[in-house]
Amino acid sequence: MTLLGALRDIFIVAQFEVLRAIRTWRAMALFFLYAIAASGAAYIFTQVVLAIENGLAKQLGVPETQVAGAMLTELMSSDTFRSLLEGMVGSEAAVEHVLNVPVLAVFNLWFSFALIPFFAASASAESVSIDLRSRSLRFEALRTGRMELILGRYVGQLVLTGIASMLSIFGVFAVGMWFMRGNDPVVLMGWLFWLTLRAWFFSMPFAGVGVAASQLTTSPAWARVMAVGITAGSWLLYGFANWMSANEYPIIADLLFQILPQGWMHQLWEPTAWILPAIVCSVLGPVAVLVGFIRFAGRDL
Amino acid sequence: MSDTPALVLKNVTKKYGTHLALDNLSLTIPRGVICGFIGPNGAGKTTAFSVISGFVQPSSGSVNILGTGAFDPYILKGRFGVLPQDAELSDRHTPFELLVHLARLDGMSVAPARDEANRLLSLVRLRDRPNDRISGLSHGMRRRVAVASALLGSPELVLLDEPMAGLDPVQAASLRDSLKQLAGVQTLVVSSHNLYELERLCDWVVMLDAGRLIAEGSMSEVTGESERLEWELSPGDVPLDALRIALPEDVFNQEGQVLSHSTSANLDESTIVVMRLLAESNIAIRGLRRGVGLEERFIRETHAHGAT
Repeated sequence: MTLLGALRDIFIVAQFEVLRAIRTWRAMALFFLYAIAASGAAYIFTQVVLAIENGLAKQLGVPETQVAGAMLTELMSSDTFRSLLEGMVGSEAAVEHVLNVPVLAVFNLWFSFALIPFFAASASAESVSIDLRSRSLRFEALRTGRMELILGRYVGQLVLTGIASMLSIFGVFAVGMWFMRGNDPVVLMGWLFWLTLRAWFFSMPFAGVGVAASQLTTSPAWARVMAVGITAGSWLLYGFANWMSANEYPIIADLLFQILPQGWMHQLWEPTAWILPAIVCSVLGPVAVLVGFIRFAGRDL
Repeated sequence: MSDTPALVLKNVTKKYGTHLALDNLSLTIPRGVICGFIGPNGAGKTTAFSVISGFVQPSSGSVNILGTGAFDPYILKGRFGVLPQDAELSDRHTPFELLVHLARLDGMSVAPARDEANRLLSLVRLRDRPNDRISGLSHGMRRRVAVASALLGSPELVLLDEPMAGLDPVQAASLRDSLKQLAGVQTLVVSSHNLYELERLCDWVVMLDAGRLIAEGSMSEVTGESERLEWELSPGDVPLDALRIALPEDVFNQEGQVLSHSTSANLDESTIVVMRLLAESNIAIRGLRRGVGLEERFIRETHAHGAT
């Protein structure tokens, strides 16, 4: 099998995976839930901004506002807001960059970092196990290698995660236009798209975890529990790594930061340096898939 | 057509825990035949198919498909088709979509894959429902889609595990006719419990019991078609003594009005002598059956092996 032949098979399997997933109510429900969660969180954020703005208005002795964004310029220079942003993006340098970005797009990326790992892992967990159970995988396994089959499913899941996250932009955009003042529609949409692309890269390792879990069991439910559990565990490990970093265990902490996608998360805020973590995440995804493949390669179908 | 056998298994053993599903199974299936793969439930037919197709790893032994060695999807792309018995089709797609997808994985580009899907949907008589969801098709229709998937691209070797299961008699006859047309062009290995059907379809037989090979060869060899006849006769005195004198090498047995006759010589010449002597004794021939029949041979073999 040539490399081109393998890539062709991966593409064909991925194409079929996308078509199949779009036809299931589960995929559509996940798309919908993701969009609702992103839009809902964006709305809550506008209300938080409104509360902070009105607090600021009281301090300045000016009338309170009914719609968020009326005092955004003043807000940007307030210490409260800067510390809020610093908490979100992780560094002072990144704050300077994101101050030039529509605040709702910044929030959307921050929220995506929390949500998209669970979404990607959960959705991908079904990709193989359901066909292992029904043995329908046999029809494809006769015609292509198991590696191409699994990578095709993984690529299909990445496409689906990309579609879901891009569709969610429209909900957040609508919230930005209706519940927040001062947003230029083109600028807001452009930044939402640009930052969501980074979130998509961040989702890759977690989609890999989902596909890995899916290769280990014939039960989609159990695969999902494993994938979501591992994703939650990675956040706990990330917290542990931060604790170790602050408590004189920097070598172990650095090692964990290298292998955990969350360890690269803050660099994804950087204006140009986000490319490196994006590449790392796009490598960590297939690595996670391959961990599951060690079992899948030799298993009876 | 190459002289290399279509399929060779050598000492293949498959264990599931302590259960021995295949026990040192060795067999050879020549090219161009339609081979019946026969055995009682639990004989190891489906396991053998799964091992050959690479779905299941053998515990020991070797498989050689079309002279290329063990199953390799890259080498056998488009040359080897399988209908797995217990695999469900992805039911969110239409038959046409699924067949096009599988044909593309077989190496075809989109347009030929579409043509091939249409050809096979016609062959399995689903041309009128190409765009229905598979989930909405009856069991028999799904089975026919699965059969079509195994025949995509006219592969050199096709394994069909219970292809007639769930088909009504008309559908089964139609599929049998379609498969018969492929004899000599492709090698088909067909597993079924319907031995009468296999006897009409196949020209090669492999019999398994308890994971072991109990018989293999051409249909005529296995059923003894060339050496045994059963005569159903009208009432009267069968001239057994005269038959035994005229054909001293042959063996005659009478049970009621059925005369069984085995010969190691030329069956045609013996038959002429028997007919003449029966006619001279005013005995009419009401029926004649050649060989023991696949079912009878199968029952005899499985009982014999069960007793050992």
